[in-house]
Amino acid sequence: MAIMGTFAFEEDFIAAAKDLKSSGFDNISLLSPLPLEEAQEVLGLGKSPVRRFSLAGAIIGAASGFAMAVATALVFILPTGGRAIIAVPPYLIITYEMTILFGVLFTLIGFHVVSGLPAWRDKPYLESANIDRFVVVVEGVEGEQTARAEAIIRGAGAEEIKHVEEDR
Amino acid sequence: MFDHGQPSYAEVNKDVLSTMLETGPRYWMLLGTTISIAGICFFMPWFYQLIVGVGAAGMNRNAVWGTYLSNFIFWIGLSHSGTLLSAVLHITNSHWRKSIYRSAEAMTLFSLMTAALFVMVHVGRVWFVHWSFPIPNQMGLWPNFRSPLMFDVMAITTYLTASSIFIYMGSVPDFAAVRDASTGIRRRLYTIFSFGWRGTAREWHTLGWAYTFFAVFVIPLAVSVHSIVSWDFALSIVPGLHHTIFAPYFVCGAIYSGTAGIVTVMFCLRKFLGFEKYIGQVHLDNLGKLLIALSLIWSYINILELFSTWYGGTSFELEALKFRLTGFYGPLYWEMITFCAFVPLLMLWKKFRLSWNKMLVISILINIGMLTERFIIVATSQPRKFLPDAFGFYFPSWIEISITIGSFFIFATLFLIFIKWVPAVSIYEVKETLKPLRRDA
Repeated sequence: MAIMGTFAFEEDFIAAAKDLKSSGFDNISLLSPLPLEEAQEVLGLGKSPVRRFSLAGAIIGAASGFAMAVATALVFILPTGGRAIIAVPPYLIITYEMTILFGVLFTLIGFHVVSGLPAWRDKPYLESANIDRFVVVVEGVEGEQTARAEAIIRGAGAEEIKHVEEDR
Repeated sequence: MFDHGQPSYAEVNKDVLSTMLETGPRYWMLLGTTISIAGICFFMPWFYQLIVGVGAAGMNRNAVWGTYLSNFIFWIGLSHSGTLLSAVLHITNSHWRKSIYRSAEAMTLFSLMTAALFVMVHVGRVWFVHWSFPIPNQMGLWPNFRSPLMFDVMAITTYLTASSIFIYMGSVPDFAAVRDASTGIRRRLYTIFSFGWRGTAREWHTLGWAYTFFAVFVIPLAVSVHSIVSWDFALSIVPGLHHTIFAPYFVCGAIYSGTAGIVTVMFCLRKFLGFEKYIGQVHLDNLGKLLIALSLIWSYINILELFSTWYGGTSFELEALKFRLTGFYGPLYWEMITFCAFVPLLMLWKKFRLSWNKMLVISILINIGMLTERFIIVATSQPRKFLPDAFGFYFPSWIEISITIGSFFIFATLFLIFIKWVPAVSIYEVKETLKPLRRDA
């Protein structure tokens, strides 16, 4: 069972999230039509692990870029004007481009892994959360917890409260 | 920031989504026209050239590079302001970027696609274009990564990939808004496009971090791309091209022409999609100031190029310079200087900078000047290299002129398709610029 509380005002929404968090509800989602730093702070979201993906991608890209340039030069030897077969300065440009390419691709993978998208199953959602409403979702509540969570959400000034069955 | 008062969150959704979901006959007529002209002016002459060979173009023994490559540089240059400006302004947290960056990034993407088409047209036997990629093949042939042309392949492939990801990821929350506002097959499509986005704090948090990293990667990438394009020329020893200043010159010119392109696109978005509420005087004023700064840097580099050639005193370089300034294409050179160095100075006056019509004219003149610049670089250097025996002349054939005209309609077609598939103004970022609604207000 999940409870969804809809708010018209950002301040009420943040207050409800804080109250729920301090009352021991950990499985909460905060839906908003725009990014809100305060909401992220309530959930304790600090530095994102996405940065590790970016760094790993950049390192792998740099190594594979240089390796690719060297490997192609060795399998197809093209001696021109007495120049070195493995010429480091031009290969650094290929390395640079591949660093960025893999950095971007790994950041993309990191985004999907960390955010849990694509979402493979339906989760509690209200379309108004993508327009002008702020929605607090408390998931996995049963019995007495339901009433307590509902009281907190109502007390913070929710316009509407819904109970939904979760798709597991 | 908003010329017509602050809209509500719901109005932002409605205004932006209506440009996608409501399509009148004027749109279809415009799309049909651009597709037809692109087909007639670009693809038909190209097919003709594929049949008769690349000799149908005006290139010859003394001028093996021509209009196709000058167009390639122009379109790569035009691509520069979108993603680069968007990334720089994102990192510096400039709020005025939020209404205009989505279309600017789209401009980057479509300019790059158009530029890539010119490479295909130029190489002649386009069916062998995959030879430029490091793909195993039956001949055991591998690309030579010591060549600047191979730097180009890597740089442009990376730029196209990174720009596509950059614009796509920034659009995911807005795809969710389209999903929620639509029905039927469109809803199913946008459910896939939006990855099931709900707008949770964790999703926003991750997107924010990822987007910042994309921006950090894209800024040096954009600078490298046009530097590398400049090395296609500067790493040769051809008089008029062998200049160390070429990389910053190309990067500056690229951002300059791209920023002017943004002004043109913003004018069209206001005029035809009714985005007056979101794209206002503040955007015009800031873009105008940016254009003045870029114009001054561009002018300085041009003076520097003339001075260093004159001061160097090499007879080959002086001959190439004389041909550029006073030869057959001399008038084009002075047209470029007028449009790119003098006309933009009008923006020093606020009445020019804050007038959409005047800014439209200035931005178009700047891009005509920049297109000319690229043509001059190609057409006045190779045919004037070293000894008179190697002297020649290049003039574009009707095929090249037609393909050049057609490329603008390819760009317009892609943009027209884009505005019906992606919200042209970022919904959630515009909401970030609005004052939050408070209970006590």
